[in-house]
Amino acid sequence: MTESSVPSPGDPHEVLAGLATLTRKVRAAQRGTWFPLLLFGVITLGAILVNRFTFSVHTTTCPAVPGSADNAGQICTETRQGSALYWTLGPALAYAATAIFYTRRSHNRGVGTPVRPYVLTGIGLVALEAAVFYWNTRHGLPSPGEKIDFLGLHLAPASGLAQFLQWLDGPAAAVGLPLLVLSYIERNRALLLFTLAYLAMELVTGLSHFKVGLMGIPFDSPWMSLPRLAVSGAFLLLGALGFALAQLPRQRHAS
Amino acid sequence: MSTEGEQHPVNGLDDVVHQRVRLGILTVAHQARRVDFGFLRTALDLTAGNLNQHLAVLEKAGLIDIEKGYEGKRPRTWLSLTPAGDRALRDEVTQLKLLIHQIEQGGPTQER
Repeated sequence: MTESSVPSPGDPHEVLAGLATLTRKVRAAQRGTWFPLLLFGVITLGAILVNRFTFSVHTTTCPAVPGSADNAGQICTETRQGSALYWTLGPALAYAATAIFYTRRSHNRGVGTPVRPYVLTGIGLVALEAAVFYWNTRHGLPSPGEKIDFLGLHLAPASGLAQFLQWLDGPAAAVGLPLLVLSYIERNRALLLFTLAYLAMELVTGLSHFKVGLMGIPFDSPWMSLPRLAVSGAFLLLGALGFALAQLPRQRHAS
Repeated sequence: MSTEGEQHPVNGLDDVVHQRVRLGILTVAHQARRVDFGFLRTALDLTAGNLNQHLAVLEKAGLIDIEKGYEGKRPRTWLSLTPAGDRALRDEVTQLKLLIHQIEQGGPTQER
């Protein structure tokens, strides 16, 4: 049977397979996966400029390390950059724009689309990001050498767990989580695989960034996050292009 | 062979729903929430007259709602499942799965 035919009059297996084909056809008309990927790619690349203009260097007296007098009176330098507000509002707006885009696009193509999952997910994501933002604001950045208090765990900043948590509190979670939820709402296996690849890439580049910096850009440079964000943004934009090209034949077939 | 009190899944199939075109219409409407006449006609590869006949049967059975209107100057017909239509589709799919299970087991199954 072809994709545009009614369910086969054959055995129950064939009937159910025909229904599944029709369901896939409707889902294809409802989706425009390239759009959220494009938005998240632009947000990620935009973060390069946000990081550049929020970059600041602070000097403080190094805290004393118990049992050692080596660093007493020394001056420590710490750098800060990035905006939690940007990573809270950016993905939330991208999600809202995606819901509106999907609704209008589906309507133009002659099908409806469920709005409630997008609204609930958007609210959940904003709440989560706002909670992280609040936690960061309340606790502030740790001073050099100071341990990070995370839910009662006192983690050394250089520890793998602390770096992993920092990785979670960043673009990887702000972009990866919405994409994971989107792939579930849409039952979109291709998007799920793409998101897992994105998260894996983010984990590798993120941990490399924390340990040695990327492309030799030092930690006290305003452009220190450029390579990591550029790679992530380019990955998302290429994904958007790939999904758009993959959907073209279906659109031609539908018209 | 069925024992007394058991119902063969075939008997649970509703003739109005089981007809293949109407089953396709209900499936598309279920997934889409709301579907345009034109999309349905293309998706099911039907003529307008044929599709209209099946829609009339489903509407008469109270399984779909049909809403006619205009978007600008363009007439559009939207249809959506009623709660009864949603239930009927779920029942149909359940019966089909039971039937498959029965065929694979090589005997009748106890209906839940």
